[in-house]
Amino acid sequence: MDESLVSNIDNITGVYAASPQLTSTAYVDGDTVFLYGIDPATYSSVTNGLTIVNGSGLSASGGNQILVSNSLASNLDIGVGSTVTVGPNSTGGSSYTVTGVFNPGTSFGPGARSVYVPLANAQTIAGKDGKVTEIYVKANTADDISTVAAAITSSISGVNAVTSSSLAATGSALSDTLTSFFTIIGLVALMAGAFGVVNTMMMSTSERTREIGTLKALGAQRGTILKTFLSEALLIGLIGGLAGITVGAAISFVLPSLTGSGAAGAVSSFGGPGGLLRGGLQTSITATNLLLGVTLGVIVGTLAGIYPAWRASKMDPVEALRHV
Amino acid sequence: MSELAVQAIDVAKFYRRGKVTVPALTGLDLEVMKGETVSIIGPSGSGKTTLLNLVGGLDVPNRGKIVVDGTDLSNLKDGELTKFRLQKVGFIFQFYNLIPTLSAIENVEVPMTFAGVPAEERRSRAEGLLRSVGLQDRISHMPDEMSGGEQQRVAVARALANNPSLLLGDEPTGDLDSKSAKALMELLKAVRKDRKMTLIFVTHDPIVVARSDRAFAIRDGRIAHELSGKDLQNARRSDEYDSAMVEGVY
Repeated sequence: MDESLVSNIDNITGVYAASPQLTSTAYVDGDTVFLYGIDPATYSSVTNGLTIVNGSGLSASGGNQILVSNSLASNLDIGVGSTVTVGPNSTGGSSYTVTGVFNPGTSFGPGARSVYVPLANAQTIAGKDGKVTEIYVKANTADDISTVAAAITSSISGVNAVTSSSLAATGSALSDTLTSFFTIIGLVALMAGAFGVVNTMMMSTSERTREIGTLKALGAQRGTILKTFLSEALLIGLIGGLAGITVGAAISFVLPSLTGSGAAGAVSSFGGPGGLLRGGLQTSITATNLLLGVTLGVIVGTLAGIYPAWRASKMDPVEALRHV
Repeated sequence: MSELAVQAIDVAKFYRRGKVTVPALTGLDLEVMKGETVSIIGPSGSGKTTLLNLVGGLDVPNRGKIVVDGTDLSNLKDGELTKFRLQKVGFIFQFYNLIPTLSAIENVEVPMTFAGVPAEERRSRAEGLLRSVGLQDRISHMPDEMSGGEQQRVAVARALANNPSLLLGDEPTGDLDSKSAKALMELLKAVRKDRKMTLIFVTHDPIVVARSDRAFAIRDGRIAHELSGKDLQNARRSDEYDSAMVEGVY
């Protein structure tokens, strides 16, 4: 879309500020990167801004200045003051001076390989003079968001205004999908676990046939045998549940650091560089989940133990004693 | 010895092996008096173990009656038979059948647990029983840390746990060397005297037969004959000769 739309949007009632962005791909010293062209004057009043860890942000005065992500900086072995070649392909381009290094809050994905230049420079590099790909709009108040979005969509043809709450909805739809995916995996694991307990208990009761016969001869009632084997199944379930939550908790601790844990969190960085997963995967360990894990383990273990325990309790002592 | 401890009247028992019905007992009669030690001998498959299972309430006959201490077992339901075994009968098996994961004293405590004896009383009674079978130094040993003779002594202590009136042994010396077998029989003799128990053994072992008051030969599912006093005397004599051999008199 055209850059001139920014002023149209600015004029819509309820709009606090609008900031254009051009997103493209480019090459920095021969390395593919995500190139973001922004308007330094309005960018941070509309978005959360960038977390500069070294140097300074882009200045409004323009020129061949570039911000690089910290992981890109270390990959290319560059820093504030370095000169890099930025161009649309790996061979050509113009010289840019690194004015700042920012932390995208992730060490993998598009966020880690992103660079920011002034909008005009990005348009030149991408060969899209006067064009932008996104316009970030901030409403005066949160209540205005939907009205402003509707106004933008209706007054400017060919533009679709997406609110951060609808982005959040997309995010929660994604997380719902993930949740049902993991629930299905969990159910399959539960089935497999139940089968494992049944199998173990069947083995155990058949290996201990003579023992069961002996206990019956000594005066163990059916109920006693049933209770003994059910307790054993319950114990297997309990141990399994405890082991499960231990491993689960360990993974919960390790996973965020593997996917890059944004201190800002995933939600606040929606729409920012890197998109949905810029903040990395966040995990939470809740008492409910721990309790659920152990309880499910115990319940599944006990249920799976019912049939083998019942079989053991019904054994004929004479046959059982003869068993070798 | 005038009171009847065990009475079997025209007892028949069949087993189904697929479509074939195998007769184990075919109209057996037997009477054992209180305080008696009786041996049942006979070839394999003659029905010895079946008889012992019926007397011990592990099984019920298809025909006839088994009366133990005035109770007709053939009328008891499964739960009642279990209670009968718990209170009246002690079993000793050829291969001891101790629970391998429990120590000697825990094995002895098992039947008392079933009878609902409180933990402290259980422990002290089990200790006393292990002492009476000469295993005071083996209390916390596991079965696989003990010799066959020692394991069978634990089994005897376990069989006595609930003060039964009837002690049944299925080849109790079958897995023991003759020295351990004799020691076991001496122990059982002392136990019988102390507790006025009735002892019934199914056995092949002359060592057991020689120490019985009476012995019956079973064949084809019924008592074929009672061993005469002379037979028993011969067994005892050969046993004495055997002992003397062991002790190096000859």
